Amino acid sequence: MDPETFISKYEPKKMVAISLAVLAVALAILGFTYLKTGSPVNLGVEFTGGTIITVPVVESEGEITAKLVGYPVLDIREVGHRFMIQLGPMDDAEYRELSAMIDAEYQDPEIKYMGPVYSKRLQEQAKTYIPLSFLFMAVVVFLIFRTPFVSMTVILAAFSDIVIAAACMTLAGVDLSLGTVAALLMLIGYSVDSNILLNNRVLKRKGRTEEKVLGAFKTGIAMTSTTLSAVFALFLVSAFSYLVSSSFTQINILFDISVVLIFGLLAGLMNTWVMNSNALRWYLARPKKAGARRHKR
Amino acid sequence: MTEITKDPRVIIFFAAVIASLLILAPMPGEGGLQTRLKYGLDLEGGSWLQLKLQGAIVQPQLDPIKILEKQFGDALNRPVEVEWRQGSTEYTIAVEGRATKAQVDDLGYPQSTVTPRGNATRITISASPVGVMMNYLQTSLDSDVKYLGPDPLSFEIRSNVTRESLEEILAVVGGTLAPGDAGFSEGVTEETVDETKQILDRKLNRLGLADIKVRVVDNKFILIDLAGVTVTDAQDIVGKPGIFEIRIQTTANESIHVLYGGEIVDVSLPTGDQSGNWGVPFTLSEEGALAFQKAAIDTGATRNRMDHEVSMHLDNELIFSAPLAPDLAGSLEVAPLRSMVAQVGGDSQRAHDLYIHLREGALPVNVEIIGSGQVTAALGDQFKKQVFIAGVLAMLAAGLMVFLRYRNPKIVVPMVATSFSEVLMMLAVAALLNWQLDLAAIAGLIVVIGTGIDHLVIITDELLYEGKMPSGKVYLARLSSAFGIIMAAAATTIVAMLPLFGMGFGAFKSFALITIAGVLIGVFIARPAFGRIVGKIMQADQ
Repeated sequence: MDPETFISKYEPKKMVAISLAVLAVALAILGFTYLKTGSPVNLGVEFTGGTIITVPVVESEGEITAKLVGYPVLDIREVGHRFMIQLGPMDDAEYRELSAMIDAEYQDPEIKYMGPVYSKRLQEQAKTYIPLSFLFMAVVVFLIFRTPFVSMTVILAAFSDIVIAAACMTLAGVDLSLGTVAALLMLIGYSVDSNILLNNRVLKRKGRTEEKVLGAFKTGIAMTSTTLSAVFALFLVSAFSYLVSSSFTQINILFDISVVLIFGLLAGLMNTWVMNSNALRWYLARPKKAGARRHKR
Repeated sequence: MTEITKDPRVIIFFAAVIASLLILAPMPGEGGLQTRLKYGLDLEGGSWLQLKLQGAIVQPQLDPIKILEKQFGDALNRPVEVEWRQGSTEYTIAVEGRATKAQVDDLGYPQSTVTPRGNATRITISASPVGVMMNYLQTSLDSDVKYLGPDPLSFEIRSNVTRESLEEILAVVGGTLAPGDAGFSEGVTEETVDETKQILDRKLNRLGLADIKVRVVDNKFILIDLAGVTVTDAQDIVGKPGIFEIRIQTTANESIHVLYGGEIVDVSLPTGDQSGNWGVPFTLSEEGALAFQKAAIDTGATRNRMDHEVSMHLDNELIFSAPLAPDLAGSLEVAPLRSMVAQVGGDSQRAHDLYIHLREGALPVNVEIIGSGQVTAALGDQFKKQVFIAGVLAMLAAGLMVFLRYRNPKIVVPMVATSFSEVLMMLAVAALLNWQLDLAAIAGLIVVIGTGIDHLVIITDELLYEGKMPSGKVYLARLSSAFGIIMAAAATTIVAMLPLFGMGFGAFKSFALITIAGVLIGVFIARPAFGRIVGKIMQADQ
């Protein structure tokens, strides 16, 4: 389908409805996770407390499991030439013993321990700061556009980007970590820039709405595809570079960030070019208001 | 092209790029050429500890008389009567039957007299109301307690205690806590945090560790970064006290071992007398006192005190040396002594340092390790290589995408060059402001490459709206419209990054900083120049 048909053929209301339906499904996924686990996304070790250890693969999974008998091992997985071991809460003495053993037995171990005090604090911070940051973003958007309808669509798109990305995380089994939080926040910035582009082009320029949307769409796709390609490079290196060289491994932080950004950028494409472009078309085509006529000519 | 070289935006841009190159240029340093970039622990290798200082600041309402009634009543197994005159620092306790001095000593009131009077015993203890309260809090909580001030009466409890458990302890003697946060707030005073930080600093410095960062957050968390140390060692360093030793000089350059720190059972806070002489009181165990007496007599320190100084060492480092005081030398001839004062003269700071040393570098408050971790140097090196590859690939991928869109090197080359210059400037800012580049920062950097090119696309497309580059007024109008968009996007991105400064002790602060720096550099330095340059190039083309 060429961009022109995509932009102008379908009825705006239907397109908006489809996007809202996707948002509803995403919200349902978050709601379901919330009912099941008490939080809308699955929490990673940073938020639940616990220990993550990665060591080079020098033995079978059975052998390493045997060494860890007695410790609260939750999961052992092989990720790119390394075993990633996830452990539940331990007391101080137990953790010290474990870290000493790991340091003695393995070369280049990576250890990360998050106690309950740390994780509880982080959970509280996430609950306060993330909504707050969203609120600030909304204020900034209102200050920029000053039109309630347009501001609301931009904010809704940003909200939907985050919700859909979070739902995709749940489906893909990516847990909430500081990295994914950073990526979700970054999505706010990304979603706002393509929406501002769209609104600026459509509201401030003269011409047929469909043509303006089409122009903005071409620019927007170029923007998102460049960002997406940079993020995809990050994803490839963090997830698969171990296939290239045996000394490379997965880098969890980068993996988390890149995966969430990919989900969010794709959701952003839909929310900007399926939902908001059509919402604008509908808004400008409304029969009654004089302001809308002027644009339509 | 003469016009463009005079454009201030372009001049600023090139000046910034040149400055960045100078800042980033490798300089000869220790171990060969080095750039000024600093890497975080996860790229450099090392470990980190996150400690929580356990303690609380409390405002209790307590009656010392009730405390003494309870303490002495329990110890002697019968009711006692306590008397106190307003303003006095003596309490008198009357009890039927006999009581011994040892029983009073055990309660923690060493300065007392016990006088039998007929069928009853009269005990006089020398203690202030605050002293009694502290004694009660200390013994019932089994914790160090520091008196903070009389108005309102407040104490710092230096161990893990909850409001409920403290209220229970107070209720036993009819005491209460002031309501709300004023009555009980978790955390310790700034001085205590500082003291703890200093002790940690010193301990780590004594070990000769090169690159140590000790930070305090919220007055109750201490974060330590240790380059090149395993997390096991780091935990040991923080947890284990140093080795403290007392020696007595035999000849000019030699001394003999007297006792180790284990024989020191108590160290009190430094005290100063009226003439401004500072000293640190400490108490030896019985065996310690005997060993000290024997060594003092054997070496001749009791008779010739000036030639046989007593010295104190922590981890083999001399920290204090002084002759025995004349009266002490005399007393030691006769009997062992348990309580002594290390006199340091008029220097209160030195007294304080000595106090810390006498405690063998033990921390003033209990600390709980709430988070820790390590990445070894070799693993960090691998990560570094991988993120470098990721950065290069990201740039190439983004470059390829803009090439596919414009297929015109006159647009694509300036675009990729501008994006690259933004990376350079971000790194230069990081180097200049001593930011640590960790994995999160690099992730931010790569993500900002994406946003940066986004914005260059916006600028280019606004300018090329009618398919060709306009000139004059239209060009400027388009450019300002493009900047309207990217400014708005930049503002929202910055706002969105703010939470990362506080979350998780700022583990992702570097991500936020790099992103914000990138956005600002892009909006104010690189993109204005790009708009001018690409405009000129395209106009010249037409």
